[in-house]
Amino acid sequence: MAWRLGIDIGGTFTDVALVNDVDGTIGIAKTPTTPSDFGKAVLSGLHSALDRYGVQPDEVSLLSHATTVVTNSILEENGARTALISTRGFRDVLELRRSARSDLYDMFQDSPRVLVPRHRRLEITERLDATGTVIVPLAEPEIPGLIKQLKDLDVEAVAISLLFSFLNDRHERRLGDALREALPDVAIFLSSEVLPEVREFERTSTTAVCAYVAPILGSYLKRLETATDSLGLPELHVMGSTGGVFDVREALRMPVNSVESGPAAGVIAAQLVGAQLGESNLISFDMGGTTAKASLIRDGQIEVTADYEVGGTGSQNRWVTGSGHPIRVPVIDLAEVSAGGGSIAWIDPAGSLRVGPHSAGAEPGPVCYGQGGDQPTVTDANLVLGYLDAHSLLDGDLPIDYQRAEHALQKKIGDPMNMTALQAAAAVRDIVNNGMAEALRIVSIERGHDPREFSLVAFGGAGPVHAAALADELDIPRIIVPPIPGGFSALGLVMTDVRRDYARTLYRQLEDLAASDIEAVWSELQAQGEEMLTSTGISPDHWRFRRSADLRYSRQAYELNVTAAAGEFTDKTKAKLAESFHSRHEQTYGHKNLTEPVHLVTLRLTAVGELGRLEIADIICSDGASEKSRRPVWFAQTGTTNCSVHNRSSLAAGVSLDGPVIVESLDSTLVVPPGWTARNDYKGFITLERSNRE
Amino acid sequence: MNSDAHRDRLTDPVTFEVVKNTLYKAAEEMKIVLAKTAYSPILKVAGDYSCGIFDTQGNMVAQGPDLPIHLGSMPDAVAAVINKFAHSAVEGDVFIHNDPYFGGSHLPDVNVIAPAFYQGRIFGWTCVRAHWPDIGSATPGSYGAVTEIYGEGLRMPPIRLYHAGEIDPNVEDLILANVRTPDERMGDLRAQVAANHRACQRLVSLASKYGVDVLTRIMQEVMDYSESLMRLMLSELPDGEGVFEDFCDGDGIIEDGEDEDMTFTIRMRVLKAGDTLEVDFEGSDPAVSGPINAPLSVTASGVYCSLKMIVDPNSLIPPNSGAWRPIRVTAPAGSVVNAQFPSPVVYANHEISHRVADMTFGAMAGFMPANVMACSQGTSGIITLGGVDPRNGQHYVSYETIKGGMGARPNKDGINVVAAGISNTMNTPIEILELSFPVRIDYYEITPNSGGRGKYRGGCGSRRAWTIVDHDARAAVCLERTKSPPFGVCGGEAGARASIALKLADGSIRTLLTKGGFNAPAGAQILLEVPGAGGYGDASERDSQARARDLRDGYVSADPD
Repeated sequence: MAWRLGIDIGGTFTDVALVNDVDGTIGIAKTPTTPSDFGKAVLSGLHSALDRYGVQPDEVSLLSHATTVVTNSILEENGARTALISTRGFRDVLELRRSARSDLYDMFQDSPRVLVPRHRRLEITERLDATGTVIVPLAEPEIPGLIKQLKDLDVEAVAISLLFSFLNDRHERRLGDALREALPDVAIFLSSEVLPEVREFERTSTTAVCAYVAPILGSYLKRLETATDSLGLPELHVMGSTGGVFDVREALRMPVNSVESGPAAGVIAAQLVGAQLGESNLISFDMGGTTAKASLIRDGQIEVTADYEVGGTGSQNRWVTGSGHPIRVPVIDLAEVSAGGGSIAWIDPAGSLRVGPHSAGAEPGPVCYGQGGDQPTVTDANLVLGYLDAHSLLDGDLPIDYQRAEHALQKKIGDPMNMTALQAAAAVRDIVNNGMAEALRIVSIERGHDPREFSLVAFGGAGPVHAAALADELDIPRIIVPPIPGGFSALGLVMTDVRRDYARTLYRQLEDLAASDIEAVWSELQAQGEEMLTSTGISPDHWRFRRSADLRYSRQAYELNVTAAAGEFTDKTKAKLAESFHSRHEQTYGHKNLTEPVHLVTLRLTAVGELGRLEIADIICSDGASEKSRRPVWFAQTGTTNCSVHNRSSLAAGVSLDGPVIVESLDSTLVVPPGWTARNDYKGFITLERSNRE
Repeated sequence: MNSDAHRDRLTDPVTFEVVKNTLYKAAEEMKIVLAKTAYSPILKVAGDYSCGIFDTQGNMVAQGPDLPIHLGSMPDAVAAVINKFAHSAVEGDVFIHNDPYFGGSHLPDVNVIAPAFYQGRIFGWTCVRAHWPDIGSATPGSYGAVTEIYGEGLRMPPIRLYHAGEIDPNVEDLILANVRTPDERMGDLRAQVAANHRACQRLVSLASKYGVDVLTRIMQEVMDYSESLMRLMLSELPDGEGVFEDFCDGDGIIEDGEDEDMTFTIRMRVLKAGDTLEVDFEGSDPAVSGPINAPLSVTASGVYCSLKMIVDPNSLIPPNSGAWRPIRVTAPAGSVVNAQFPSPVVYANHEISHRVADMTFGAMAGFMPANVMACSQGTSGIITLGGVDPRNGQHYVSYETIKGGMGARPNKDGINVVAAGISNTMNTPIEILELSFPVRIDYYEITPNSGGRGKYRGGCGSRRAWTIVDHDARAAVCLERTKSPPFGVCGGEAGARASIALKLADGSIRTLLTKGGFNAPAGAQILLEVPGAGGYGDASERDSQARARDLRDGYVSADPD
């Protein structure tokens, strides 16, 4: 049991990363993504990873996976045919939203398309009051009619969200049981199970997103699980939106928890690298084939938002509501732009050069892959500029057709704009860099963080090709290129812990609750956590439980999460919990109010099974003869110049290279422009700094 | 265009961007601190407030992503404090006022204003304007139909609330003695002070990082930048002149000798030439008896809001005082759109600015039809409730605004039930409402057939019923567009009008005036329909698939009555 395996399906490549549990050795296998059946690429990637590093399936201790299925099905609006059942009089809750528009002055804005169109919004007569007491009993005689309607509408999923069900779930459960019995093939989600919290729109929205994506996520994960089972690998885990992995059953219970699964993996990896190198302020920059993503790590912590809207525009963690579908679960905070190696360059009707948002993806891919692509892409531009090897990529696995790429750039961009192919390539690169700089700006400058105080961690297959140009644009002083940048996100998948969060909403004044009642709830949640951890096989010495409570002053609307002391909850720890809340409130907002009653909204328990910290290492044992060739490469500062090309795996530890220089590895190419110096450290990290700063 | 807007600036582009964005981020942070710590639902969940950062003259340098309604008047409110206290203010002072005749908007909007000090010198100001659900007067919620500002509640001229970090207990006591639910008000007030402190901290850290001179210079440059962009973008639009006239339902007062609330008329002329725009209200009716008279800065806010939507739909121009320099808004003194002391004002803040904002589109439709939309709901649809909560014996005041439709656009339908125009508050979740107040909501849903017909349909309005539970409540309403429906443009038809009625426990239905207080006894049901919005273009050109979708989803019924 010595290896952990991570599978990351990107728009262009499927990466399988390995880390040795004992010594931190890492490895990677890349295969082109197979969009028509993702499982195919996963299987071939797994085969090739296991073969290449001589790993037996029974030596694998953790298998985890990042999925983009949830976000994609929202963006592409191809989720399940979903119905919503509301309390009578409230069928429009998803469309009424919170009524604020997302942009104050955009006359042409649209509200997001409601996941459940109005003719599939049904109602049932019932009502609870604000104490959870039944004032109108559930209308049992209406249930058969509802079932018939759902059958007639041929729905694949149903969200049930009744008013005040977070205080009393009896009506939802009764209706849910009836529907589950009558419609066994339909996914049924109850708001009291998904998110037992006050605020009907946000609770309903979270529940509806679950229902909408569950069928598609379910069939996807089950196919994948069948494939990994057939190889004799351990149970499949899925990355959560804030790091930590959980099993497939949990992923299907709460599909919203994996909404930013893939991006989270990359940021988690960047955070761990920061910890390993002693850098606590980082901007992670991940550029793959179709998108580029930026996220901020400050004081070693990833930024998390509780106000996430899936399918929303712009970035999170801003006072912008209404552009997507709210889900009330914590999600990693990042900015994403449609710019990647596969982004297609084109001329718009007004004669301007544009890049993206369309991507050539994995099929047909860039022109130079020779797989039928005829639209020039960012990768083709990088090739013509000399940044990429004109003969092959992926260590010879991927033959390259330079002429074809040059021809496409000339014909599609150069001719109409009266430019040479080289000029066209430089223009394409400028435009795509500008778009990506925007993502970096959103997470730094826009939030008042000066990028000059951060280091850029560049990864994804195309990240290191563009990193220095972006750092120049934002005046970022330092770039860190980890080993295996092309599979770096997948490393985040295996360098995390098994984690699951449990919650119970009580919605009571703290002083009205006996310590023993609170202890009983936490013990019950902990028992569930222990059961989950037992099933992972992680030894109990590596279990950790964190108890916390969401508290607020009774007339406020937002809670602060306060950690409770470990051990049994007593009257003494109860008093301490209230005290911690008061001081947390003062620390956060500058004032406290000791006379105001403290309201306990939700008790939480996080169960973590630690998998052990890893220091990743790509140990270098080289004599330093790393230069393998020279080739003409174009830089803005110098024009085309004869540039030295080095083999990354042969770089000696401690060696410094002054730009211009190209450093190639199996999975990525690092471009060091004039004015930058790259230094290789003993664990295989390359750091870029400006060589001649005045 | 961008390079032009950056011309003549001393600051390097990166520092300018970083500082500008930090200023806007600080204004946004104020908003978050307020929302997360305030007590009353209107603030903590509905977001009826604005936050801004100001220079030493009271010019607004940065506004949070707040309410367009406050665009015009916040600088005047801050300037009033500066004029009175700039020389005597010390670190830790906090000022308060709500006087519409000193740049306030209406009495419930309470401005809390603080100076930012660095090395003993004031280099900027911060302001949080928040709507208190009650500011005294005879009616819970302070939305009664009165005829003088003296009847509208506690009027505070600019006064000092905190001296060197300590609250003045006399001022505090005076305020709390004059408002209902004083505990809740204290929670809200503390939240406003905390939000100001947060912004001052951010300003001070900018000053210590970049130097106070560089910071204050950039504050000016940010406003110049907005002005340049506004001029550039205005000059790209067609020139022209247009007029528009519309009438309001009334002021909530039935005058001697009348048997209904009389309508009154607003007239507007817009002249756009090059990089400037002039709006004049000559010919509008004189001020009315009831509280629907707008101070000129409130009227201007309505113009600014629509203008920004027309000129800058992609939000490139940072909202601040600089952006409005090319715009001139004039109105006859003493008219309903340029009220003079002591005219009462409480409804005008939203009802007149809504009206003026919609009329601005109407006036410009003739010469830039591709840049305007049809009339939106045109009212804030306000219901206030007050009384004693039988569940705990405590007084309560509830204030809500109910949203209708957003107008149809030149290329698409309007949006159903969304805050449009000058408003952008959120609804209060039904569950929060019922937890907080002794009411039950019986339905809250889209009103079919309420969107104006057109090539593009106006957004549908909504309807809602409140049942008063186990106590007698004193309620008030403020509603417009029950008589003049939201107009369509370019051949589009008007949206459905608003309506309000009270259904008593015995089943009898009583119609209500559109403005003012009424008794809502236990078991009574308040029935409100807020307007849909106007359509755009000729209905005969509507796409047949869009028609079919409207029918399938019941936005339009097969046989509308």
